[in-house]
Amino acid sequence: MPTADGLPGIGGIARGKAVGARVTRVEDPKLLLGEARYVADLALPRMLHAAFVRSPHAHARVVSVDPTPAAAQPGVVAVLTGETLTALPLEDAAVHPTLPKTPQPAIATDRVRWAGEAVALVIAESAYLAEDAAEHVLVEYDPLGVLDDLDAALASDAPLIHDHLPGNVLIRDHYSHGDVNAIFQSADHVFQRQIHHNRLAASPMETRGCLADYRRSTGLLTFWSSTQTPDLLRLMLSIVLDHPHQRLQVIAPDVGGGFGPKMSTYPEEVAVAFASRLLGRPVRWIEDRREHMLTTNHAKEQRIDLSIAANADGRFLAFRARYVSDSGAYSFNSATALIEPQLAAGLMPGIYDVQAYEYELLAVMTNKTPIGPYRGVGWTAGHTTREVLIDEIARELGADPTELRLANMIRADMLPYRSATGLEYDSGSNERAVAKAVEAAGYDAVRRAQREADPTADRRVGIGVSPYVEPTAYGTEIAEQSGYPYSSHDNATVTVGPTGTVRVSVGVCSQGQGHQTTFAQLAADALGVSVGDVEVVAGDTERAPFGLGTYASRGAVIGGGAVALAATQVRSRILKLGGDLLEAAPEDLRIEDSIISVIGSPDVSISLADVAGAAYFDPAVRGPGEEFVLSAMSFYDPRPTFSNGCFVAVAEVDLDTGGVRILRFVAVEDCGTVLNPMIVEGQVRGAVAQGVGAALLEGLVYDGDGQLLTASFMDYLLPLASDVPAIEVHHMETPSPRTVGGIKGMGESGLMASPAAIINAVLDAVSPYDPALVELPLTPEGVLRLAGRLPAS
Amino acid sequence: MKPASFEHIPVTSVDEALAALDGGAGEAKVLAGGQSLVPMMNLRLALPATLVDLNPVTGLDYVEETPDGISIGAMTRQRTVERSEVVMRRVPLLSAALRHVGHFQIRNRGTVGGSIAHADAAAELPAVLLATGGSVTVVSAARGPRAILAADLFRGHFETSIEPDELLTEVHVPAPANGARWGFREFARRHGDYALAGVAVVTTGAGADIDEAAVSLFGVGTTPVRAAAAEREIVATGSPEAAATAVVDEIEPTGHIHGSGDYRRYLAGRLTRRAVAEAIGGSPA
Amino acid sequence: MNTRELSLVLNGVPARAVVETRKTLADVLREDFGLVGTKLGCEHGVCGACTVLVDGAAVRSCLLFAVQVEGLSVDTVEGLSATGELSEVQEAFRRHHALQCGFCTPGLLMSVTEYLRDADPADDDELRDALSGNVCRCTGYQGIVDAVRQLVDDRRSADADG
Repeated sequence: MPTADGLPGIGGIARGKAVGARVTRVEDPKLLLGEARYVADLALPRMLHAAFVRSPHAHARVVSVDPTPAAAQPGVVAVLTGETLTALPLEDAAVHPTLPKTPQPAIATDRVRWAGEAVALVIAESAYLAEDAAEHVLVEYDPLGVLDDLDAALASDAPLIHDHLPGNVLIRDHYSHGDVNAIFQSADHVFQRQIHHNRLAASPMETRGCLADYRRSTGLLTFWSSTQTPDLLRLMLSIVLDHPHQRLQVIAPDVGGGFGPKMSTYPEEVAVAFASRLLGRPVRWIEDRREHMLTTNHAKEQRIDLSIAANADGRFLAFRARYVSDSGAYSFNSATALIEPQLAAGLMPGIYDVQAYEYELLAVMTNKTPIGPYRGVGWTAGHTTREVLIDEIARELGADPTELRLANMIRADMLPYRSATGLEYDSGSNERAVAKAVEAAGYDAVRRAQREADPTADRRVGIGVSPYVEPTAYGTEIAEQSGYPYSSHDNATVTVGPTGTVRVSVGVCSQGQGHQTTFAQLAADALGVSVGDVEVVAGDTERAPFGLGTYASRGAVIGGGAVALAATQVRSRILKLGGDLLEAAPEDLRIEDSIISVIGSPDVSISLADVAGAAYFDPAVRGPGEEFVLSAMSFYDPRPTFSNGCFVAVAEVDLDTGGVRILRFVAVEDCGTVLNPMIVEGQVRGAVAQGVGAALLEGLVYDGDGQLLTASFMDYLLPLASDVPAIEVHHMETPSPRTVGGIKGMGESGLMASPAAIINAVLDAVSPYDPALVELPLTPEGVLRLAGRLPAS
Repeated sequence: MKPASFEHIPVTSVDEALAALDGGAGEAKVLAGGQSLVPMMNLRLALPATLVDLNPVTGLDYVEETPDGISIGAMTRQRTVERSEVVMRRVPLLSAALRHVGHFQIRNRGTVGGSIAHADAAAELPAVLLATGGSVTVVSAARGPRAILAADLFRGHFETSIEPDELLTEVHVPAPANGARWGFREFARRHGDYALAGVAVVTTGAGADIDEAAVSLFGVGTTPVRAAAAEREIVATGSPEAAATAVVDEIEPTGHIHGSGDYRRYLAGRLTRRAVAEAIGGSPA
Repeated sequence: MNTRELSLVLNGVPARAVVETRKTLADVLREDFGLVGTKLGCEHGVCGACTVLVDGAAVRSCLLFAVQVEGLSVDTVEGLSATGELSEVQEAFRRHHALQCGFCTPGLLMSVTEYLRDADPADDDELRDALSGNVCRCTGYQGIVDAVRQLVDDRRSADADG
């Protein structure tokens, strides 16, 4: 719809020079020049350093903790134990009638539940001295039976991890929609696949860290953290430390990647804040990589059984699934142990038109690092399982897997569509995205080459297709639909200052995504100024309005929407005032290049600076009782909107080594209105690279004693430049009819749906051997076992 | 992840180094490139009381052409050797193998002597030394220098026959005989990672008529190993496949989280087939 | 506490400090010289975030003790631009969206600075192998590869013209 000044608008936002353009990022120069400041770069006078003493046992009673030898070490200021640290335990705030809590102390008192849980905190004059002294804290443990995997935890005689629970199953839930039993009984075919999804570490390049600065004189606690959610962290710290909320400021400075795990509040943060308050000095803790692997939320481990009932033509009639998540030692505070199985279950129907679906889910506690959010939570495991099974169905039925998918897909003309789990897909380009992706990838040519290939060759090529819908705009309504009812919204303030420049502050903060640029683009076009005239402030509870932070692809839709709404209000005020000054009707005015002019009469104009100056300093422009404050705050709680797209991978398998080389990777992404194609492509590519890791490289492995065997980057294998292919991104643009500007969220699909494309390409390459995938990642050895070169494990 | 305290003794000569090692009463460790030792120290898995730092030593950083091959000073950076024209000409197998050692930032610092003395069973340089029939010179204050043949050097994973009071000063890599050919293959989970298995092959002879063959495997046991049966097969049959079969029969690798023993045995066989084929059909050494 | 006086040439300027002998070069750069642009991502030599140039060679500053650079020259990200204007390499990174969170960026810039001195990759595979000593978790590497390829191409055409 057109905006007042005739600029083409998109569902309520102005589109001028910035929105939709490849604007280079305003945040880049500081990052490139080494001037960015992450939490580890911040230092304060009299600052102390923290090191945690961590349990070497996966499950044990803590008999005693003796801090005295450590306290006598050089440079040591204090040693805190579970006895001396008094804070409420962390627990989730989920409103769920049957979900038990598993309170987690900041420092363990009488029990440790995974190898890595903190048992003491040493505060010293340097990080080196703190680590030295940590080795002198004497802890006596009485080891208990270790639940190192699902089978151990589910055994009838398994020891309990949490004594107040009746068993190690935290929650068991069941859902049914449609007449699933009858359909399964009468269907022509029933196909089934079980996959144990790998446990992953999101591994932002910056580990966690925090710096607490408590002033005894004022009672003010300033807390810097590498967090995705400053306001939630502030609230949580306020509650567990019983610290007045108004005297607590949380700042997320530059943050070196988040991807999910930095949305939780962690025990270490509580302990460090407590220590600063106790000692009246700043205390900094920077997690090291080994600690990160041991203690920052792990992700995505669950065992999924999926059955699909289909008719003779391969039309999917019903899904039945069971989700058993290996949730680790605590139901973590950000989103509980339900996070993996619940979200996997909710999106299992995905892009397919299936109205009969039943599932059971179990969240199981084990003696491992707690599971938390990581990009595409739950969806990755569910999507991979479903798409692998669909390729198996195609092989069994002798159908082309792409045709089979298209035949079962929710077509664009069926939208809006309510899924079997109650998700309301608003709009999209589902089948067109698939067509575009397979064409770009040369699907038919690959199939031809496969038919002509030497069947005895050591190298075989396969192709995998993975279409998706991606829930975005994490507002209150989709929270309800996803099984996590809570109020989810954000706020933004837009202010035009007395010189006609713009300041935006917003509760959604960045961990590298580029919000400063995209939000500036939105404000710039709404106000007719350049991106350079806009400064975006976020990540500080005192400088930005309340917000829930950055997760679940909510940044662009909620943060961007809020900015656009506030900027539009300010625009109206500017046009009203400009109209008064130019003696013209506001609806006849436009703003471009910071000039307000009459449409059709560009000579009748006034600069934005003059209008702003008048607003601030000329009492004559104000009518009685009028305010001419050029500032507005908006609140936004969007309705759900769904992005869609399709990935295609072409992979070559070497049957001598089991090595996989991804020859082509095509991504078609439709996230509605594209604010900045460069940033969208960066999000897709980054997430797909993480998908390469999830599919082929990454896996957190424990031994039978619950010891993590992959606690370093030597053993936990992140994808390198040489592991990731060129990723060709194609845009489609189907604006949402529901959101401000038609904006849809994006950024998670790459990790949700790329593993399936890659895995199916590999399985396609070895399809003559009837590969039955049971576990991930697909290691070289695993590939050879699937290809019959080695016996199945 | 900060290292514990230690005494740092920078030395400028081999004599100083030997004296410092002597004075360390067995608690001193040699610091060469540090690319394996320092990570262990940062993780506090290595806690040496004293580090004898060889980096300031002058005269251990060279690549010399000798009548029978090349001699490399122990402190020569791997990157220097990788780019050495002499090495490319006389022992191209070594240049090829070095490109698989970590990443260039690691090779900029890592030394040839350090890698061999460290004796990681999955490392490339020990295997190349074994394949070429090379040797090292070690020196002790009390007994002077001695040579150790590669075949006698590697005793176990991270274990060599170098005595605690000895220092590795030079590495000798004989150039293969005229007309010799070579092949090198390794497979790792990612570029630059330690190999899951690897093989260096040197053959002499013309075409399928092989006079001599050396097959040195790494990542398949506690030390690099010569695959004697495979070598006999190559001479007898000239068949890469026969060599591969022999390798599979004669090794018993253990497993770790990145690959089981079965897999690594299969892999060693297939890599041997490719490396032998490369040598027999491939580039003159 | 074992300390020693250290003198070096830091970003082209002579510098001195008294440092603890066990302190890594990365920690000394960050804490004793305030050059916090050099990042610590793993402290065991894998991620490459701490890469600096020592006598022109890209090395992991987490795997060197600061006392080992006595008398040597060390270059960090802060030395890449004297004026605050982006250098050619930095500008290419920006143009090609070769960074997101920026945490791996300083180390990558230093690796690429050395690499470009005589880089001659036959193709993108070889280029990707050369870049594989620095882990980036955000970008999927494409922007980095694009930026470095452009820089290599620029140098090749400059050499051809020269």
